[in-house]
Order: sequence, then structure tokens, then C-alpha cells
Amino acid sequence: MTVFGPNGAGKTTLLNVLSGGLKPSEGEVFLRGTPLRSGDPEWHRRVGVLSHQSFLYGHLTLEENLRFYGQLFELPDLSRRVPERLEQVGLLRRSKSRARTLSRGMRQRLALARTLLHDPELVLLDEPYTGLDAHAAAVLREVLASLKDGRRTVILVTHNISQGLELADRVAIQARGRFIFLGDRWEVDADTFEQFYRAKVEEVG
Amino acid sequence: MSAKIRWSGAVLGFLGLALVLLLHWQVFFWVPTERTMGVVQRIFYIHVPAAWVAFLAFGIVALCSAMYLWLKDERLDMAAVSAAEGGMLFTTIVILTGPLWARVAWGTWWTWEPRLTLTLLLWFIYLGYFLVRASTENPQRGRRFAAVVGIVGVLNIPLIHLSVQFFRSLHPGPVVLKPEGPSLPGDMLTTLFTGLGAFTLFFLSFFLFRYGLERMRQASLHREMAGGGDPQLQGVSS
Amino acid sequence: MGYLRQVGAVVWKDLVVELRTRERVAAMGGFTVLVGVLFNYAIDPTVVEPQAIASGLIWMTIVFGGMLGLGRTFHLEEEEGAFQGVLLSPIPRDALYLGKVLANFFLLTVVTLMVFGVFALFFGLRFGEHPGALAGVILLGIVGFVAIGTLFSAISVRTSMGETLLPILMFPLLIPVVIFGVTATSSLMAGLPVSEVDGNLRMLGAFAVVSLAAGAGLFRYVVED
Repeated sequence: MTVFGPNGAGKTTLLNVLSGGLKPSEGEVFLRGTPLRSGDPEWHRRVGVLSHQSFLYGHLTLEENLRFYGQLFELPDLSRRVPERLEQVGLLRRSKSRARTLSRGMRQRLALARTLLHDPELVLLDEPYTGLDAHAAAVLREVLASLKDGRRTVILVTHNISQGLELADRVAIQARGRFIFLGDRWEVDADTFEQFYRAKVEEVG
Repeated sequence: MSAKIRWSGAVLGFLGLALVLLLHWQVFFWVPTERTMGVVQRIFYIHVPAAWVAFLAFGIVALCSAMYLWLKDERLDMAAVSAAEGGMLFTTIVILTGPLWARVAWGTWWTWEPRLTLTLLLWFIYLGYFLVRASTENPQRGRRFAAVVGIVGVLNIPLIHLSVQFFRSLHPGPVVLKPEGPSLPGDMLTTLFTGLGAFTLFFLSFFLFRYGLERMRQASLHREMAGGGDPQLQGVSS
Repeated sequence: MGYLRQVGAVVWKDLVVELRTRERVAAMGGFTVLVGVLFNYAIDPTVVEPQAIASGLIWMTIVFGGMLGLGRTFHLEEEEGAFQGVLLSPIPRDALYLGKVLANFFLLTVVTLMVFGVFALFFGLRFGEHPGALAGVILLGIVGFVAIGTLFSAISVRTSMGETLLPILMFPLLIPVVIFGVTATSSLMAGLPVSEVDGNLRMLGAFAVVSLAAGAGLFRYVVED
């Protein structure tokens, strides 16, 4: 599902609540029928978050970064998993370089590898295309497409209409902390969506 | 402020005031002069009760802080900060009266008397409590941090107490602060208890008023925010 | 065992990063040597014999130097928001705390060795008959120091005052460590038998245990919102 919305709409807050980082003042979150209990480490095992910040340690190598997170998630068989993920995002060749030597696009790709390392059921992406060059964006698109395997929920938050609509199955528009539109992808016309989006947002004021 | 709080605060305040007046009379006119130290010893009746309240207050701070972290009820934090302010006030009284007494009685401003030192350190722990509260962007965080400081503080106080006593036993100095307790003659004991009662009541009154004030403040802040604001903000139980 | 593995991951990561940046060790090391030099000029050896006050000087140097390093415990975590990433993992908060404490402990041990080296070199000190017990006293003191320091460092890095708040928060609580540590150290350095410092060791141990327990329990309230 892609969530569109202007600044301050609360999209990041939404992701924070879903990731278990922020407690909702009301209501509950469910994933496949299991409720999110705050502070529950099991929830973290099922969720992967890709944020503005890469959550990486510049002084560790790509491999070391992934191994570290792998150990935090208590994943078995890291010597196989880590190169696999690096391969998936096209960074295997640079696995021994320090993370700080990477460009923005590569960093985001590494962050993506980190996000998916523990094979989460819920993947949260906060403006993942920001600052990416064409190549990195293409890799991202490819990986995201591969996530549409029916086993997971992916929630993508973005400003960019075309990128956001590309892979979406469902579309939402958030403003002032609420969903002012929620529907399936086919309900929405890609060409006119921009106008539709603006109109909806203006309505709310 | 709820009527109940205002009323009980006022009653305690009046009682405290009455006892303070009684205390004044006792200290200045009634209680006999202590043999070795002379008139200045009368500071004792202010100094010791203030110390008692200072530590009592901190106990309340720590208890409320622990429960606040556990139950997440904002009222507990309001209670903690109210107790802390009162506590700090009385701690300040202790470390002002102590040197005053020492200076007149023995000629030095400061001796490393274990109880006085402990109270000085308590003052700094209170300081840390308030600094941490005040210097966070997010006030909720500030309250949690302060609660942590309060709890760590109370856990350490016994150890600090033991350590400064131990130090003193190695480096004895002038014998300070005549022992209070059952060895005190009747009149002095009575005066001391008056002091303890007066200050405790005063503190409780102060605590209640401060707590009531804090609740009013929080309530008005929430009305302000709920009025024109961001529906994403966490609600607070009232 | 997964728990220990997670703790180990944190320790390893911190130490590797420190090894590659040498940020904290350099600052603490430089500080140590400078303090040694300053004390040399600040103390008149005709009036005071360095051996007599060495214990106190050593402890103060460890405390101040250690404070420098502790203040930066969570510093590198902020760069790319890595700490948030760690919090989004299933690692229990007390495991995270213990990992940080252990890493800081290693760091402080290195600094302590430097301090002893510098002081032995500059002042020609004698360390008594029981170097093992002496090491034990110091290490035990460091445990308590680091336990509280790591917790409060997590707090102070999230305030506007930053690292400058750390000494203010810590000094009252360090009094027991200083008193018992210095006393035990000077007793041992003066050649007294280990039985003499028994009580001090016990107190240092109690302090360490209480601090670790408090830190492990309270850490989650500091890092989670």
C-alpha cells in the first residue's frame, strides 16, 4: 500500500506507530491477527523499517553492518544470508568496504538489505526514493517488486506520485493525521491522480 | 484546583503555621540553653527537622517516580515534582543553617560531618533532577529522565551515607551536631518534635498546593492543545 | 544463549568502532598524560610525597578521564540514526545496556592502565605487595562507575545540555566509589594486607551490583518513548 500526503500529515508518525516505536494514544495495531504489544521484541522480528536515516555504522564494513543486525535479530546462518542480501541489492562486490565510503544511493541500498535481512512480514518504507540516483532507484524498484509475493505487507510512504503508484495495490491519502482516501489501485486513475490528490488535500484544508 | 486539595492544603498549612509559631516560642523563650554550645545550639531545632523533611521528600520523589515509570500516570509525576520542590527547599535550609551553626560554634564554615555532607550531596541530586527535567525538548522525556535520576539517587543514598560515615571514621574532625534522640532531655526533645511536626506539616501543605497547581497547569495545557491542535498527540489521563 | 550473543554483538560492534576511530581512547589517553604532567607541576614534592597522595590522584584522573569517554558512549550512534535501528530490533533493552556497559568497561580498563603507567613513570610509585588485589579494587570501582555512567550518558545525550550534564548527575553518586576505592588503593599501595581492605571491597561490590541492577532495569525508560 502506498500512502501519500503533504508534510505534517502524520505519515512518519503512522510508520512509527506501526513499527512499535511510538505508542498510539488510542486503538491497536494488528498484524495477521496478532496485536502489537508495546515493547514486545517479537513484533520487531516481524517488521522491517527503511527510514530517511540508514541506521548504519559508517566505520563498519557493509558485511559487518549486516552481521551486526543479523546477530541482534538472532538470525541463523549469517554467512549465507548476508552475502545473499548484498547480492540482491547489488552491493556484494563492495562488502568489505566501510559503509561511510558509500554514496547516498548505495547507502540506501545497504539499508534496504538491512531492512529485509530478517525477512519481515511487514515492511515499512519512509520516502525511500529520496535522494536516489536512477540506478539506485531502479534497484529499489526491483527489490520492492520482488516483495510482492503475497506473504507480506509493504507500506510505502512518499511524495512522489508516479513512483508511489507504480507498485501499489492499494492507495491511501493521509492529511492531518487521518486517511482521507483509502482504496484499491484500480479505483484510481494514474493520469488524473495528481489533481485528485490535490483536490482531496484542499478539501481538508 | 480541586476543592479537596485546596482545603486540605490550607488546613495543613494553618496547622503547620500554628506549630511554627509554637516552635518559635519554644525555641526562643522556653527551651533551656544547651550547656556546651550556648545559644547558637538553638539552630538545631530548625536544622534537624529541615533535614528530616528533606529526606522524607526525596523518599516521596523516588516512590512516585518508580510508580510513574511503572503505571505511567502523569499525576504521579506531578506528585514527584511537587515533593522535589519542597524537598529542595528544605535541603537548602539544612545546608544554610549547618555552616551558620558551625561558624558560630566552632569557627569554621564547613566540616565534613557525614550527615551534613550527605545532605549537600542530596542537594546536588535534586539539582540533577531539575536540570534533567528542564533541559529536554520533549517534556514527557524530561519527566521520565527525572524519574530515573530520582530512583538511582534513592538507591545510592544509603551507600553514600555509609561511605561518608566511613570517611569520617578515618578522619575524625570536630565533634559536630550533638546527637539528637532519646538522650535529649525532655524539653529539648519536645521542641525537636514540635519542629519536626511543624516542618512536616508545612511541607505537606506546600506539596498539596504545588500538586494542585501542577494539575491545573497540565489541564490548561491540554485544553489549549486539544482546542486547535494536532490529533496525534498522546492523551494524558487526568 | 541468544541473549548473550546479542550482548556480545553490541560489545564487539562498539569495540571495533572504537578501534577504527580511536576517538575516545585518544581523548582519554591524551588527558591522562597531560594530567600526569600537570600534577607534577602542581605538587611540590618537598612538601608532599607523591606516594602518599598517589591513590587519590590516580582515582581522580580515572574519574575525570573516564567521564570524557563515557559522555561519548552514544555519540556515534546518532550519526545515521543507528541507535534507532538497534531499538527496532528485538534486542532486550537490558541486553543493550549491558553490552554498552561491558564495552565501556574495557575502554576504561585501557585508560586505567594508561593512568597507572603514566603515574608510575612520572612519580616512581610503589604499588604494594598485592597487585592482584589492587587490580581487583580498581576494576570493581570501574564497574560501578561505568554502570551509572552508561545510564546517565544515555540521558544526557538526549538533553540540550548534552555531555556537560553528565558530571553534574554523576558526582554525588560517585562519592562511595571514590571514598572506598581510594582508601582501599592507598592501603594496598602502602603494603597493607588484603584483609584490611575487605570491607571496602564489599562496599565497592555492593555499589557495582546496585548500579548494574538499576541501570539494567531503568535503561528501557530512557531509550524508549
